[in-house]
Amino acid sequence: MDESTRRLRTLDFFMGTVFAAIGFYVAIEGYNIFVAPELVTVERMTNPGVTTIFIGALLALLGLVMAIIGFIGSRTPFRNAKQAIPETLRKPAFLKGIIAMAGIAVYFFVLWGRIPYVISTFIFLAGMMFIFKAGAWWKIFIISGITVAIVWYVFGELAMVPLP
Amino acid sequence: MSFEQIVLEVLKTLTLEFILLIAAATFIGLIIGALPGLTTTMGIALLTGITFKFSGHAAIALLLGLYVGGVSGGSLSAVMIGIPGTAANAASVLDGFPLAMAGKGAKAITVSRSASIMGTLFGILCLAFFTPILSDLALKFTSAEFFLIGLFGVLISGTMTGADLPMKGWISGFVGLTIALIGIDELTAYHRFTFDSPQLTSGLPFIPIMIGFFGIPQVIESLSSEQDVLVAKLDRAKTKLSEILQHWKVALRSGLIGVGIGVIPGIGEDVAAWVSYGVAKKASKHPEEYGKGSIEGLVAAETADNSCIGGAIIPLLSLGIPGSPPAAVLLGAFLIHGVRPGPMLSFEFPAFVYQAVSWLLVATLFMRFMALWLARPMQKILTIKNAVLMPIVTVLCAIGAYSLDIRYIDIVLVFFAGILGILFRKGKYPPAPLVLGIVLGPLVDVNLRRALKASNGDISIFFTRPIALVLVVSIIVLILAQLGVFEAITSKFRRMRQSTI
Repeated sequence: MDESTRRLRTLDFFMGTVFAAIGFYVAIEGYNIFVAPELVTVERMTNPGVTTIFIGALLALLGLVMAIIGFIGSRTPFRNAKQAIPETLRKPAFLKGIIAMAGIAVYFFVLWGRIPYVISTFIFLAGMMFIFKAGAWWKIFIISGITVAIVWYVFGELAMVPLP
Repeated sequence: MSFEQIVLEVLKTLTLEFILLIAAATFIGLIIGALPGLTTTMGIALLTGITFKFSGHAAIALLLGLYVGGVSGGSLSAVMIGIPGTAANAASVLDGFPLAMAGKGAKAITVSRSASIMGTLFGILCLAFFTPILSDLALKFTSAEFFLIGLFGVLISGTMTGADLPMKGWISGFVGLTIALIGIDELTAYHRFTFDSPQLTSGLPFIPIMIGFFGIPQVIESLSSEQDVLVAKLDRAKTKLSEILQHWKVALRSGLIGVGIGVIPGIGEDVAAWVSYGVAKKASKHPEEYGKGSIEGLVAAETADNSCIGGAIIPLLSLGIPGSPPAAVLLGAFLIHGVRPGPMLSFEFPAFVYQAVSWLLVATLFMRFMALWLARPMQKILTIKNAVLMPIVTVLCAIGAYSLDIRYIDIVLVFFAGILGILFRKGKYPPAPLVLGIVLGPLVDVNLRRALKASNGDISIFFTRPIALVLVVSIIVLILAQLGVFEAITSKFRRMRQSTI
């Protein structure tokens, strides 16, 4: 088994475990719905807990199988993860991804709604283009400005979306 | 409804306003499809926000135009830069790009465009013919059949799209079904997984999830790996129609494959193109030319992915079950605009199928002219750096999700759906079954319980009705095949025979 497959199976083990946990939670919650006092007057077969248990149990089962496949395939998932995490953290692509995600998070959670849409979007666009070296600063300013103007006109004026 | 009435209804929605709208949508679709990183599914999800103010029919006409343009547009970048604009055009890269690099770029684009048109027209023909038949058949379906179709759709979508293990496709589908459980229960008004949050009572909105799930991972991936783009030069040589038409057998076979795969819930254009390409290569007299600029290979891939559009809309309109991820987003848009696809559609909007056919035809007509006309400007557009394009895509993701209900929570949802999408990509979990799971969740949920109620809790209702029985057998065969049971039995029989000899 090559290194990439071993790493994928390690990830499968962890993701399978998470899916199994979610499935168990959904199934247990489904049982709680099934016996919920506010649904005693509802026929058992139309109780929303029926489908919830069905879907949750199947997701748990599939997640468990996935975790087992991952465990068998990776053999030592915890040791593999311990080895792979520092390597991944050192990769430039990973760092770029984290920066991009952080930029998006700042735009969505910090800028959006707090300052006017036109300004927040311009800051986000220009900032991201600067960080990822899209070109000369004046080009970035022009592109960001034009984009903001077009989006504001199409959504704010034509589609009449009340922008923050 | 008489033939004359249908014609009148169709003509009502073929006004200049509609035609211009479809033309604009096809144009936008071609550009969205051509730009690597912007998929047709994402394009439809993003534009749904703008269509909110339009009339239902105008919005749907626009989105169908975008669908046609998007799938076709992907071939432009596949041919010119060797990067498929959408997953549907990945197979077109194999022969389109070598052709363009050999100085036959115009020919490659003409062939892919002609194949796209042939495929789309074939798909539309099948749509017009089979949708009413399937709708009539669907009227005989009870809750048991609808539940089983929903379950079968999620499972087959997971099986066919799982690149690593089919199990991952199934998990993806069940995660989608789980997401669909959130909100008020349709039958009892019970609040399920709402955590006392009023914003979750109507469930998680589908479009923002789609925008985040498809858009954000693409933004992150593109920004993490900036690649130099090599654009093939376009010559000015003309291609004779006869050169393309000599591959009519390949086109017809690929059209059938495309429609057939399109009809299967949640699979989509990419699978259709690859299957068709593989079949064409096997059947070809010159398989050695495949991958080196074979016209036949390009025709096979492009006809199949475009005919899949019509195929994917057949179950959408007749059963309310989308045949592909873009069709799934279309379903969400249909519901927003008050059109509920399914067997009752022919009663509520008797001419709707034919109106949709006419809109698709108009879009195909515009696609015919626009694809070649756009090819030269696209040479410039395709050199746009990801560092410029992706921040703009992020802004569109945010505004696209926000404009639907003007709720900040939808932007938060885009972000978290994006994280889920990244995890799915890293773990090689296919996105299509998740989309289908979310869309089919309510159908599976409600019809399972309705079926059980109708039978007083007797599960034999799922085995005693002929269509239900066929579906149950199909589901069992599908699962056993993926678990390798049939392979094990076959090899055991082979060993037994050998030992007897």
